Amino acid sequence: MDYLRQVVAIVWKDVAIELRTRERVASMGAFTILVGILFNFAIDPTVVDPAEIASGLIWMTIIFGGMLGLGRTFQLEEEDGAFEGVLLSPIPRDALYLGKVASNFILLMVVTALVFGVFALFFSLGLGEHPLALALVVLLGVLGFVAVGTLFAAISARTSMGDTLLPVLVFPLLIPVIIFGVTATSSLFRGLPVSEVDGNIRMLGAFALGALAAGAVLFRHVVED
Amino acid sequence: MSGKVRWFGVVLGLLGLAAVLVLHWQVFFWVSTERTMGVVQRIFYIHVPAAWVGFMAFGIVAVCSAVYLWLKDERADMAAVAAAEGGMLFTAIVLLTGPLWAKVAWGIWWEWDLRLTLTLLLFFIYLGYFLVRRSTENLEKGKRFAAVVGIVGALDIPLIHLSVKWFRSIHPEPVVMNPDGPTLPGDMLATLFTGLAAFTFLFFSFFLFRYGLERTRHALAHRRTGRGGEALSEGMAS
Repeated sequence: MDYLRQVVAIVWKDVAIELRTRERVASMGAFTILVGILFNFAIDPTVVDPAEIASGLIWMTIIFGGMLGLGRTFQLEEEDGAFEGVLLSPIPRDALYLGKVASNFILLMVVTALVFGVFALFFSLGLGEHPLALALVVLLGVLGFVAVGTLFAAISARTSMGDTLLPVLVFPLLIPVIIFGVTATSSLFRGLPVSEVDGNIRMLGAFALGALAAGAVLFRHVVED
Repeated sequence: MSGKVRWFGVVLGLLGLAAVLVLHWQVFFWVSTERTMGVVQRIFYIHVPAAWVGFMAFGIVAVCSAVYLWLKDERADMAAVAAAEGGMLFTAIVLLTGPLWAKVAWGIWWEWDLRLTLTLLLFFIYLGYFLVRRSTENLEKGKRFAAVVGIVGALDIPLIHLSVKWFRSIHPEPVVMNPDGPTLPGDMLATLFTGLAAFTFLFFSFFLFRYGLERTRHALAHRRTGRGGEALSEGMAS
């Protein structure tokens, strides 16, 4: 119970900062809308039907927009040494990691909802016939992405290369999320039954669980000084 | 001790070189030509052993990284970096020989196939490993970060494998590690094993030299500080 309280304390701290500054959510939100506009002009609708490639575009927008926000996870705290204070508090490192993952996850789900809204608006897409299955695919995929991204954001924030290093470290590891996420999303968009994406959902869940476990174990080696 | 490492390195290097010479003789003059693919198939004897060594090296990196994080033993980190450098070299060989073969056999340089993609991603994980190592002001921190990259990369490889397989695969099926036993004719199998032996010897020779170099560097840094155990214990204390 104590453990949960500690995780919630971290989440609440990050969410409160975000609610007051609205820094990350504003830049990520603007980013996704602008990407929607750019895609609109980058794709020739007489050659490809945007609906056919929408699932890929949606996932790429989530990933790119997400990198923008994940890179900032530890930036604010690194700048004035505030992270020292967080580390000094009697919170186990894995609780700190899970809290950071949870707050990033909340942030990214807001952005993801916006991405779906933008694509629905600009490309007149629906949510398919199984919105619940679609939501599960997106939730698990984003969770896996955030779990990997948060761990490596902690690393890149403490190197001299900073944010430029993050995509190099994270993108190769995200292939399972992209492949299982995109194929499941596009199957659901095409109205295939949920049983078709059953395997995808399991794999996304396995990825998310594995990434969370690895991150919780390894995080303390990243933040110790 | 250091002399011993170098001596082993020289012996393995000579064995590897000898095997490479035999391999070339076998590849160019001895082994029979494959019926459908023709002469170009002979690059297989370079390509597959290099891939085997590249993936094995990554296993060593992951295990040594885990040991380093666990015990904070500098030697484990030296072994990990030595294996990573060798692994990156052999992965590069796989990525260069693959497209050369594919252009003739498939008519295209690159195909998003399971093993190709996996090797390319492996190469980038190695790249991240070295970038992280070199971009921290505190060396010890860089070693820890690199170890995390090595471990997470190794954990992710099976999932990447599954996912890309799910996506599609046109790469030739394994001809040796096949449930029905090797399907490769005897002389081809023999040539392949020469290649495997040659590259494995060479890899461990590089590995030992690189390990020795890293240790010499460590000893040098150690003496420069001129404070006895200070430099070493710095890495072990935190």
